[in-house]
Amino acid sequence: MTRTQKRYAAATARYAILTVWASLVAFPLYWMITTSFKPSDQWFSWPPVWFPTPPTLENYGDVWLGTSDIASGGQMALEMQTPFLALRNSMMLAFGSTALAVLYGSIIAYAVSRYRLLSEVRMFQLLMLRMVPPIVIAAPLSLYYSYIGLLDSMIGLGVLYFLSSLPYAVWMTKSFIDEVPREVEQAAEILGASRLRVVFEVVLPLIRSGLVATFMFILILNWSEYLLALILSKTHVVTLPVQLSKYEGSTEGRLFGRQAALSVGITVPLMIVGLLIRKHLARGFSFGMVRR
Amino acid sequence: MTEAVASAVPADAAPGRRDVSRSHAVRRFKWMILAPLVLMLFSLLTPVLLLQLYFSFHQWTVYLSSWWNADFVGFGIFSEVFTDPRFGWAVLRSLAFAGGSTIGCFVFGFLLAYLIYRPFRGQALYYALFILPMLTVPIVIAYSGQMLLDRNGPINDILTLLSGHEVRVLWLSDPNIALLTVTLLDIWNWTPFSFIIMLAGLSSLPKEPVEAAQILGASSWRIFLEVQLPLLRPVILLALVLRFLDAMGAFPIIWALLQGGPGTATETLGVYIYITTWQDFNVSLGAAQSYITMVMMVVIVLAGIRLLRKEKRSLDSMYAKPHATGEAA
Repeated sequence: MTRTQKRYAAATARYAILTVWASLVAFPLYWMITTSFKPSDQWFSWPPVWFPTPPTLENYGDVWLGTSDIASGGQMALEMQTPFLALRNSMMLAFGSTALAVLYGSIIAYAVSRYRLLSEVRMFQLLMLRMVPPIVIAAPLSLYYSYIGLLDSMIGLGVLYFLSSLPYAVWMTKSFIDEVPREVEQAAEILGASRLRVVFEVVLPLIRSGLVATFMFILILNWSEYLLALILSKTHVVTLPVQLSKYEGSTEGRLFGRQAALSVGITVPLMIVGLLIRKHLARGFSFGMVRR
Repeated sequence: MTEAVASAVPADAAPGRRDVSRSHAVRRFKWMILAPLVLMLFSLLTPVLLLQLYFSFHQWTVYLSSWWNADFVGFGIFSEVFTDPRFGWAVLRSLAFAGGSTIGCFVFGFLLAYLIYRPFRGQALYYALFILPMLTVPIVIAYSGQMLLDRNGPINDILTLLSGHEVRVLWLSDPNIALLTVTLLDIWNWTPFSFIIMLAGLSSLPKEPVEAAQILGASSWRIFLEVQLPLLRPVILLALVLRFLDAMGAFPIIWALLQGGPGTATETLGVYIYITTWQDFNVSLGAAQSYITMVMMVVIVLAGIRLLRKEKRSLDSMYAKPHATGEAA
């Protein structure tokens, strides 16, 4: 009896701790979502309003469609465009650079897995592309970019996203390719297929689901990038995170509801993507050090 | 591995010339694959690093005329950085922020992973919930943090309710706790990262050693300490090293939330460089700061990578043996 009691107590304690943490996780998200539905007089009131009464879609209409005039709320009039331009930029940049990184990364990964293109030392050194923070070269980079005409351009920013996500692309796709038995490719090779054809028509189709997982994993990273987008964009390639920071511009009367409405729009797609690949997340940054 | 590939060539293939042409072809294939990467890195990094060096040795700000006529000042700017106490504080703050975030994420992540790794009712739901903070955009966390931690925000409201008397902590404008606040936000953001790695590590542990210890009557605490923990060593290192490296370069949350303020209370390296270069427009000083930071970061990253590689190699040799004798069990 005491033993079952003990077990019961342990289980209860576990649920208690997990639930506390779950509410710590959920609360900020709850607050972000409810704030996005609050009318402006409830953004700052003390005590805080826990549930918007009445809920309003005004914030969403304003930030996403530009229905009401923000200028009346403060000095926010300056070139505030609807975020659709930012949304389009973010999508093109994130999808484009991610797709290219996964494609190129998987070819490199194949050559590493089968032909030792890069030794293990080099594979780890590749990680430096991601791990040395971009701020350390940001200033000369922006000067260089302005000379070669890549400042404030999609290609300029896309190249950087591509390069900085390449290490994860290589490591993650390699972990999938390592699991493909060699016999299949060898059969194709004997039948006279060229090496690149073997990659594209045999290996990559076999790891489709792995490629999708890698794609989504890197999409998350590129979608949320802020520093480079901030420094290397002026007006043309404003991305969603940078667009969000523009709502900070006014000194008085911060626009919490508007920020929240935009935040929800930026975050929800990311969460859906992340939850779809939740089983593969560990692979993304375990670099072959977790064996199953 | 090369041998394995070579020996896999069909036995009836003519030896000699054909092997030579094959190895040629393989080498060409390798170069074809690597060439774009090498080319891109070369054309991007060479001019950038040269410019960086140029500005570190020539005094120039955007208020002056053409940058290529700037005065050569030797190591003047570097010594300016080294004698700048603000820079030293920024280094310390970065280390404190990264260290605090690494430890916080690890402790919480490990605890949660340990509580969740054996199947139980609701496991999948908790897992899905716990990874959510990582799936938000850092800058969104910064602005949500601003709402939550406002003087009139819900966090102070909850603390008031819990403690019974009115709490009005100035989370963001009190210079004594601002750095702690952003560290806590970072911990909230990245605990899922450590959690995922530790969970993967825990669930991939071999079952036999634990079962053996249980049969011998060891308490679960001793099993954890003496059996599981040593086996988890590589994974623990992975979680710590990766998190630390990432936190050293953290910028969005601190910048969007506080711009290094109040005063210089949250001015980490990245923020200080940004302020020098893009707010004071002192490009030369910013370049020298960046250069020193870059060297420092490269050293830290290389050390971290070396640590991981060593650990991986010992793992590889550990797992290589059972493979040879057949891992059917």
